[in-house]
Amino acid sequence: MEIPSRKPAKLFFLFAGICAMAIPFIVFSALSIGSQERGSQEMAAQTQDLSFDHNGGVIFSAYDDTTYAYMEGNSTARTLEYYYTLRQYPGSPPYIVHDLEDEKGQPYECLSCHGKGGFTQSMNRFTPVTPHPEQSYCRQCHVKPVTEEMFKATDWKSVMPPLLGRSALAGSPPPIAHDIQMRENCIACHVGPGTVSVLRVEHPMRGNCRQCHLPQVAAGLFTRAPQPKQQ
Amino acid sequence: MTTSRRSFIKAMALNSAALAATAIFPGISFSAWEKTDLPSGSIVWSKTPCRFCGTGCSLLVGVSGDKAVAVKGDPNSSVNKGLCCVKGYHCVQILYGNDRFKTAYVRKNGELVATPITEALDLVAQKMGESIQKTGKDSVAIYGSGQWSIPDGYTASKLFKGCIGTNNVEANARLCMASAVTGCLTSFGLDEPMGCYEDIDHADVFVTWGNNMAEMHPVLFSRMLANRKSKNHVQIIDLTTRWTRSSQAADKSILFEPQTDLAIANAICHEIIQNNWVNWEFVKNHVSFHSGKTNIGYGTQDHFSFTDEAKTEDFDAYKAFLADYTPERVEKLSKVPAEDIKYLASLFGDPDKRVTSFWTMGMNQHTRGTWINNLVYNIHLLTGKISSPGNSPFSLTGQPSACGTVREVGTLTHALPHGVVMNQKDREMAAEIWDVPVENIDPKPTYHTVEMFRALDRGDITFMWIQVTNPMVTMPNLKRYRDGAKKEGRFIVVSEIYPTPTSDVADVILPSALWVEREGFFGNSERRTQHNAQLVPKPGEAMCNTWQLIQVARRLGFERQFPWSQETYIEDIWNEYTRFHDSPKHRMAPYKLLKERSGVQWPFVNGRETKWRYNGQYDPACDGDSFDFYGKPDHRAWIWLRPYEPAAESPDTEYPFWLNTGRVLEHWHTGSMTRRIPILHKAVPESYVEINPEDAKALGVVNGSLVKIISRRGEMAMKANINGRGNPSRGQVFVPFFDENYLINEVTLDAFCPISKQPDYKKCAVKLEKV
Repeated sequence: MEIPSRKPAKLFFLFAGICAMAIPFIVFSALSIGSQERGSQEMAAQTQDLSFDHNGGVIFSAYDDTTYAYMEGNSTARTLEYYYTLRQYPGSPPYIVHDLEDEKGQPYECLSCHGKGGFTQSMNRFTPVTPHPEQSYCRQCHVKPVTEEMFKATDWKSVMPPLLGRSALAGSPPPIAHDIQMRENCIACHVGPGTVSVLRVEHPMRGNCRQCHLPQVAAGLFTRAPQPKQQ
Repeated sequence: MTTSRRSFIKAMALNSAALAATAIFPGISFSAWEKTDLPSGSIVWSKTPCRFCGTGCSLLVGVSGDKAVAVKGDPNSSVNKGLCCVKGYHCVQILYGNDRFKTAYVRKNGELVATPITEALDLVAQKMGESIQKTGKDSVAIYGSGQWSIPDGYTASKLFKGCIGTNNVEANARLCMASAVTGCLTSFGLDEPMGCYEDIDHADVFVTWGNNMAEMHPVLFSRMLANRKSKNHVQIIDLTTRWTRSSQAADKSILFEPQTDLAIANAICHEIIQNNWVNWEFVKNHVSFHSGKTNIGYGTQDHFSFTDEAKTEDFDAYKAFLADYTPERVEKLSKVPAEDIKYLASLFGDPDKRVTSFWTMGMNQHTRGTWINNLVYNIHLLTGKISSPGNSPFSLTGQPSACGTVREVGTLTHALPHGVVMNQKDREMAAEIWDVPVENIDPKPTYHTVEMFRALDRGDITFMWIQVTNPMVTMPNLKRYRDGAKKEGRFIVVSEIYPTPTSDVADVILPSALWVEREGFFGNSERRTQHNAQLVPKPGEAMCNTWQLIQVARRLGFERQFPWSQETYIEDIWNEYTRFHDSPKHRMAPYKLLKERSGVQWPFVNGRETKWRYNGQYDPACDGDSFDFYGKPDHRAWIWLRPYEPAAESPDTEYPFWLNTGRVLEHWHTGSMTRRIPILHKAVPESYVEINPEDAKALGVVNGSLVKIISRRGEMAMKANINGRGNPSRGQVFVPFFDENYLINEVTLDAFCPISKQPDYKKCAVKLEKV
């Protein structure tokens, strides 16, 4: 702490230099994902269980209930980086970022804002929408942190968040990158002003999302059996 | 914090670089395709119809260099208005599977050996000639498909019916929409729907009869959803035997027992008459009443034959006939509450509601397929809800050119490009256009598809050429027909793009060009013809199916009938073919126009498409401004008195379950193409059996357990799927048929509709065993 003015400056230049050198490399690697990486992603996707799929109808009612104005809505306020800071691993329930009661001490009713979305005056932002409003006991999964202090340090690590896109052809619809159990309502997170802007789709009027976007449940490609099974 | 400074800096750098990347490329897709050297600016976009279902979406295929690299929906197409389904978006990937046939193969000493294609074509012509000489012209056959491009089917018909003189021409569309054809012919005298897809934008009520449009016709389904969303009153009623993704979206889902749709349709008409919802003005002027034979059988025996006889009836006879079909009685049979039947009738009966009915395989793959088509037309005719915007009984097709190539060109044993072989005038017309003696055309139809494969098994047919279809997966009661095809003394030629169970039994495999590797035409469900240009080169020695047929025809000595050059043969064939349809009832658009537009509907008269036939306001072939059902001699549409009759095989104590088979969104038909598209295979890698959760519990199986499905014909063990996207009612199971490793058609029954000869893949009796 003897020379407080110089150390941060040195650190800054070092950091800036690394950044400058790293950018082209990282941009390049981000645009050309090797087959190895793809392979591991596919393995992760293999665990998808679609046995709840008979409940898939929520997308159709959400589509009917969403106004055209809301579908058009856009806001760049929420970023993917912020989205993941609220989670412990891809798909974990995000924690609650705001107070649990208003200035008058009235407890907030989660679904009054997160059920439908829209602009919330008191928070001065567009509300993200829950994909599973039928689960009304929100706080069995979503909790409010009240301290940053840890009881003990942790070595917790998890996987990279799923890559966006992964279209098979230039411009073709990308597959669904995440588990869809309790997330059958695509519109909740991919449509409207409360969404993370890079996750927002520009064609919500298409309605039946899964006619184009598919979950990926198997890793390998099709191979013919040497002899077709004859009972 | 335990983070070291070094790792902190590294993490910061990584974060900021990733941030920088997203700042440079906002909304970027970090995508996973293998890159070519060609920049994205090198893409040239050209229109083409989609290769898969009968919806007939128009696509823009992006070509870079000599490769197809991308797809988007064609915004100029009134069919799909820029949207595709997932199969359409990835359809160009079917060009590049690495086991693509790029050369011909000939079986030598039991092994398929790569052979130059000219040599293979020589052998095909030689074997065909030998068969004709040894066992007669009716011992050679061609089996094509609704995926045949129009020139393929036309050339096949000309060669076999006109030149060789055999009516052994069939197509897999017999398995797919023959009942829709006979339904149209018996009710209206002419084939194909009177309405069009624009009905979807006008209808107030949609009734889907045993079809799952959310998966099978997703682009049209989206259009229905968009119509419902934009208005407040539009309803979708899903009439089904199995809870599906379409049921999830419907306003009301009505579950009925298999085969009882016949009784339900009659009960709806009973209610319409009871409540005096009949459109008397329409019925008096445009409808006549008829009955046919009953107890008509199921065709499970070889040489089965049936000819219907129409008897003229009147309204009172019709009303008396319907007395058996009160909603209460039909409730007992169908398990549909009487009030639901009454509700359906009230929707049809409401004069202020425009009603569109859609159906596909649920009604067509039915041992009374013709009857149920007639019965749904009856409802629309009684209420006058037909041939006007939003009022439309509409049979959707499953293949890209089932209408274009099979129904319009007439690639079925009894048919000609115009009319039927039984009709002297039609034969004379064909003989004149084809430049063959009229005696060449046999006035007697030979074999429909099931009987054709039985004839192959029996040895009556010794040479069969199969193009663009995979019967060794799709034939019902499959084992008999596969064993038959493998018998000594049968010569099987298969024109294909990939190895399939059908090419496995071939003696010669001819490598085919795919649709964008050649020029051609498809015709979709709504009478729309679409031209496709060749966009990319053919791989290896792959050859257009039409050209394969021309090559063999010339080797057989028919040079005069097939004189066309390789540069212009598709245009020449189109010009010759359209001479058959040169009347206001069926005129087709000229070649040049088809090249320019994203599809043109026929009848194309005085430069205008006909959207609604039989309605004088839209159809120039009508006499006057009112309705004119000019297909029938009495200029009326026919209401048929068709009773309920049970299925060919119903569950009993020994085999207590119904087996239903069908498709899934991701795979198209036998999967020989879609399984080679990575994203589709990864989404649905194998077939399964859907079981009702209660039945699964009783059987003691959970999701993924192996279950054996056993019928009187065969058995198949596969994984159980419980509470998946579909949910059969208790006592029913459902199996997607796309998977060649689980040939469910070894279990199904080859019973068919005696009028249309289309097999019923939706109903047979099975038992289940936990493995």
